[in-house]
Amino acid sequence: MNNEFIHKWKSQVKKGTLAFIILNVLKGNEFYGYELIEEVKKFTAIEIAEGTLYPLMNRLKKEGLATSKWVEQESGIPRKYYVLTIVGEETLSRMKEYWNDLEVSINKISN
Amino acid sequence: MKNIKFQHKPSQKLYHNYIKRIKKQIAILPKEDQLDLLMEFNSHIFEGLQKKKETSETEKLIDVLDKLGNPEDILKSTVAEKKLVQATKTFNPVHIFRALVLNIANGVSYLFFSILYIFLLAFGFLIFQKIINPTKVGLYFEKGKFAVLGKTSEPTATEMLGNWFIPVMIICAVTLYFIITLLLKLKQKVKK
Repeated sequence: MNNEFIHKWKSQVKKGTLAFIILNVLKGNEFYGYELIEEVKKFTAIEIAEGTLYPLMNRLKKEGLATSKWVEQESGIPRKYYVLTIVGEETLSRMKEYWNDLEVSINKISN
Repeated sequence: MKNIKFQHKPSQKLYHNYIKRIKKQIAILPKEDQLDLLMEFNSHIFEGLQKKKETSETEKLIDVLDKLGNPEDILKSTVAEKKLVQATKTFNPVHIFRALVLNIANGVSYLFFSILYIFLLAFGFLIFQKIINPTKVGLYFEKGKFAVLGKTSEPTATEMLGNWFIPVMIICAVTLYFIITLLLKLKQKVKK
């Protein structure tokens, strides 16, 4: 077994699926950054580098998949909540279709 | 932006240093974007501190900042993207130039834009040269064919533009400038 190869492959897979994971976690929810990271960690074993979430959210916003709004807090330090747009939801369901197809193919090959 | 208050000096210092690094990294963005990014990271640090279980305040903060990562690394791509958006909105040459430099790493096409930009600077340079050296700089033809745009000491070459040299160079530069900016805008639209 080549551990180094597996390690590199895993990090490529993580990088490639992070947007898909985030969109799934965000679906039907409204989360602020820190909360979103905690949710992702709850559902997946992926240890995301927390700082990388923000550039990704910025990109999702730029692509029109998500929007955000600032909500004032009692602490005086507002939270920025993210939510999927209609385009984001539609995009996500297409991504899911692709993911399912891929899963079927991979299961066929690897069995 | 409301700063987070700490009870201990070391944590206060650590926090301020981190915020300072963020500020430095995003200083070239429009004020509005700067505030938004700063507030978001501030919120992340604040929320993180509320949820950590470490005993001391400083330990909590170290853990939050450590997990968040270096501001320089995290913000690099965001700053490049936001700068490009600003550049194509404003037509300001300084913004465009900085956006191109930041985006060269993001693809060959930006390298191409940078080369176009160097051409643009070359027109400016030619005007400067013409002022310093009026008799030897110009658009030269030799035997009816284009020979040199720039400086030459070739006696057989004839200068074609005369007093029109500087205005023509300015027109070329302005035209190229608009072409570059429009192409950049177009590219942004295609990406979307």
